Amino acid sequence: MTTSEISSDDVRRSAPEAMLVGQKPRRRRLGRESVAAGAKAVAGLIGIFALWQVLVVVLDPPEFLLVGPISAFAELLERPGYFASNTFITLQEALAGFALGTALGVLCGAALHYSTTVRSFLYPALIAIDTIPKVALAPLFIVWFGFGFESKAFVAMAIAFFPLVINTYDGLRSVPHELQELARINKASRWKKMTKIEFIYAIPAIFSGAKISISLAVGGAVVGEFIAGSQGLGYVILLANSQVDLPSMFAAFIVLAVIALALFFIVDRAGRKLFPWKNHSR
Amino acid sequence: MNNEYAISVNNVGKTYRSKDGHDNTVLKNLDFHVKPGEFVSIVGQSGSGKTTLLKTISGLQELTEGEIRVKGRLISEGLEDIAMVFQAPVLLPWRNNIDNVLLPLEFRGTRTDESRRYAQELLEMVGLGGKATRYSYELSGGMQQRVAICRALVSHPELLLMDEPFGALDAMTRDSMNFEIQRIWQSTGCSVLFVTHSIPEAVWLGDRVVVVGDRPGRIVADISIDFPRPRNKEHRFSAAFSDYVTEIESHIGVTAGIS
Ligand SMILES: Nc1ncnc2c1ncn2[C@@H]1O[C@H](COP(=O)(O)OP(=O)(O)OP(=O)(O)O)[C@@H](O)[C@H]1O
Ligand SMILES: [Mg+2]
Repeated sequence: MTTSEISSDDVRRSAPEAMLVGQKPRRRRLGRESVAAGAKAVAGLIGIFALWQVLVVVLDPPEFLLVGPISAFAELLERPGYFASNTFITLQEALAGFALGTALGVLCGAALHYSTTVRSFLYPALIAIDTIPKVALAPLFIVWFGFGFESKAFVAMAIAFFPLVINTYDGLRSVPHELQELARINKASRWKKMTKIEFIYAIPAIFSGAKISISLAVGGAVVGEFIAGSQGLGYVILLANSQVDLPSMFAAFIVLAVIALALFFIVDRAGRKLFPWKNHSR
Repeated sequence: MNNEYAISVNNVGKTYRSKDGHDNTVLKNLDFHVKPGEFVSIVGQSGSGKTTLLKTISGLQELTEGEIRVKGRLISEGLEDIAMVFQAPVLLPWRNNIDNVLLPLEFRGTRTDESRRYAQELLEMVGLGGKATRYSYELSGGMQQRVAICRALVSHPELLLMDEPFGALDAMTRDSMNFEIQRIWQSTGCSVLFVTHSIPEAVWLGDRVVVVGDRPGRIVADISIDFPRPRNKEHRFSAAFSDYVTEIESHIGVTAGIS
């Protein structure tokens, strides 16, 4: 017990590149701590719902302005099939966009890092494109890909793409120069350098990008549905809006929050499981 | 005649050229030689070009003047059997210790079944035989640096370059690492270039201490240390030892006054 404490102390003190060698996975404590953290998070959520409900009861706003969580949950229970099928649609669009955005983003980030030509031509352009709000592109995707599944997936992809480009590029760039030098002194081929050091080193950064992208992708899919949808949670919200059906609208908000959160945690957990050496929520 | 030396540095100069065309001459007219199996300590002020010198010898940086030969061969003909230890251990956190030690052989494509046994032997030599399948985050800073030293030795280098390898360690760990590096060096017989900021460490370890003066980096003193091997604690407290330390301090001080 004490020796492990001393050594972890040493590690922190002596390694300026602590990001590489110093992080100690807190696996032993994870059990109790994560249960406690989870309990606090749930308590916080319940608190917000309770406050929301209390406000609604106290202020008693008209039903076309605000409804409480109880009506929203009641709405969910009343039409579970309706919400489930629309959630499934949005989920599919978001996941397809996320997968595509991740694959392209990682490829692009790697190309930026490894090719000076790509970097000098594309990096400024990418930054410029990144400043365009991606939602603004949604109508264009509708024109290109029609009113169906594809256009929403592409909106999701366009939004999910950029964090992965930047994070992949940053992850590859942040490989300590000593490791580069070690590879050069030992005459490592470019391929060996990539596979034995650089790609693995960049993976935690890629996962932090993915954590941002997954929530963005859900938002992208919903925006696509706003513009040209006949199904999905975005469509549910629009329809509820036109019918002044606030319980249905708030039910959709809750479902959206839940799936975005769930997806975020899945990506986060996957990252921690696969790469326990690094707590990559920087 | 050059072949007698493990390293010969002949009239070497190095100028970094920045993008705006500004030249920074870091090394100038550097001349020195290292015999096979010799342990040479290098000291000098921060920024005097010690790291640059090691990088040119290892081929990581190109020279702008002169030539460097390792065992008689020009380094530009391809890197020789050189290994380097950095100030930070920089082990790969996803590999256990023995796999970290084996990394250079994987880079070279020379890893065999035999290699693993040798890596294990090296870890035992530095007292980490029982930690072979542990990960770096389970080790103290001193232990990590020992793994990094094994990683350098695994390719049987004839020349070991060390750039402030113990700079990040506390004084006590550092002392024991000094004993250890002396023992390792004596058992492998490689030549060592050892950069340090600690003059006592340089004197205690070195057959010679080379003082690099700054702006531009050049050799201002090259002092042979006449203590028998293996050296022990007593040498550190002898009068001769503090004379060496004082002498070297004066050389570093003089250059600081000029610049
Ligand atoms: N890659 C580089 N490009 C340009 N200038 C450099 C580069 N590396 C080092 N220098 C310059 O060369 C000089 C010597 O640097 P070097 O790192 O060799 O010094 P050092 O003696 O190792 O110092 P320290 O004791 O602080 O490690 C410094 O002025 C530094 O700014
Ligand atoms: Mg240096």
